[in-house]
Amino acid sequence: MTEYVVPDWVRVRQESFGLLFYDTRSTNLTFVRSGDSLTPPPFTGERRVLGIEPLEGPREAAVSRLLQNLMHKGLIVAAPPAE
Amino acid sequence: MPHRQLSNTRLNAPVNVTWEITEACNLRCSHCLSADLRARGQGELNTDQCRALIDELARMQVFQVNFGGGEPFLRDDFLDLLRYAQARGITTCVSTNGTLLDHALLDELLAMESLYLQVSLDGSDRATNDVIRGGGTFDRILAGIELLASRGFPHYSLNMVVTRLNVGQIAEFDRLCRHYGAKTRLSRFRPSGGGCATWDEYRLTRQQLTELSRFLGERPEILTGDSFFALAPDSRRHLGLNMCGAAKMTCAIAPDGSIYPCAFLCDPAFLAGSVVDESLASIFDSSPVFERFRELEVDACRACDRFSVCHGGCPAVAYFLTETLGLPDPECLRSAVEVA
Repeated sequence: MTEYVVPDWVRVRQESFGLLFYDTRSTNLTFVRSGDSLTPPPFTGERRVLGIEPLEGPREAAVSRLLQNLMHKGLIVAAPPAE
Repeated sequence: MPHRQLSNTRLNAPVNVTWEITEACNLRCSHCLSADLRARGQGELNTDQCRALIDELARMQVFQVNFGGGEPFLRDDFLDLLRYAQARGITTCVSTNGTLLDHALLDELLAMESLYLQVSLDGSDRATNDVIRGGGTFDRILAGIELLASRGFPHYSLNMVVTRLNVGQIAEFDRLCRHYGAKTRLSRFRPSGGGCATWDEYRLTRQQLTELSRFLGERPEILTGDSFFALAPDSRRHLGLNMCGAAKMTCAIAPDGSIYPCAFLCDPAFLAGSVVDESLASIFDSSPVFERFRELEVDACRACDRFSVCHGGCPAVAYFLTETLGLPDPECLRSAVEVA
């Protein structure tokens, strides 16, 4: 199963609405209304994997679109699970 | 993603903080926003206190710290503190007057990651800059800039506080920035600190503000931070905030550890607490001063068709010109009466 890794140049933290991403290269912020669906990895570290709550139906589709959007912005990267 | 709505949500911690880490400065710029802090002479946090504060900023997951002063590079421990913050994942920006940059310092800075430099230069020629920043400073600053360029420092901008003295030089200033491979940054002149005494002499006229607003709309690549959010045309809306971020997205730390809503509001009336006495997290979460700013509404602007894109403008400008919070930004381009 694919994992979604936060690149070295991105910071992300939990807020009441969901996640707040910060791109250290551009210093741009991205506010993500993800509720409890996504869990941020540690602020720094070797391999920071975004936590994803198991979902079904419309909510699963919504989170999938959200992940695609975040990948498009370069805020997460799809990767095979670590061995 | 509904950025605008979510950016109004109360955050768990600041996105960035401005940390005036020293009172010491080798220049005496006539518009210095920190002149009041220096005059109060309340001292500085020591190295251990600074490290403890950086640890807390990292725990709070503050993304970015903008170090200023004074001149930060005058602090003997500053490079160590920069490295300490970077090692904790914090992006660091340093606002410097550029006069202390030399090869030895560049060796240290080039070895750092997540470091952005902002060099202050207040004119595209010697005469204009030196009136504001002091005699002989243009040449000294330019020597520092030439060093940054020749050593290939990757992330730096030149910042000009736009005043009546230099507003006619913006195009030339931009050319100078590009010549040195620097990003162009323009900042709003505010009547805070030393800016209070020079306000009448330096403030832009209504026509100059209007022309500046138009220019910024045509040049989205020019950096302004959130300086001109109240004046910027709609074409720059996607580039920054549409509201004051004081006590919401940001806050300021004075050299002695006092906490204020923003760097332009380091006035005793807005002292929210001190990290010497309590944690920054506690101050950010529950200071009555911060709560007041979060609830601040500029009711007089509600009927304006631009309310959703500026929310009444900069409270600091309004406060220091009217001694009242909650009034419209006196430099609002829609305002019918120009503040004298």
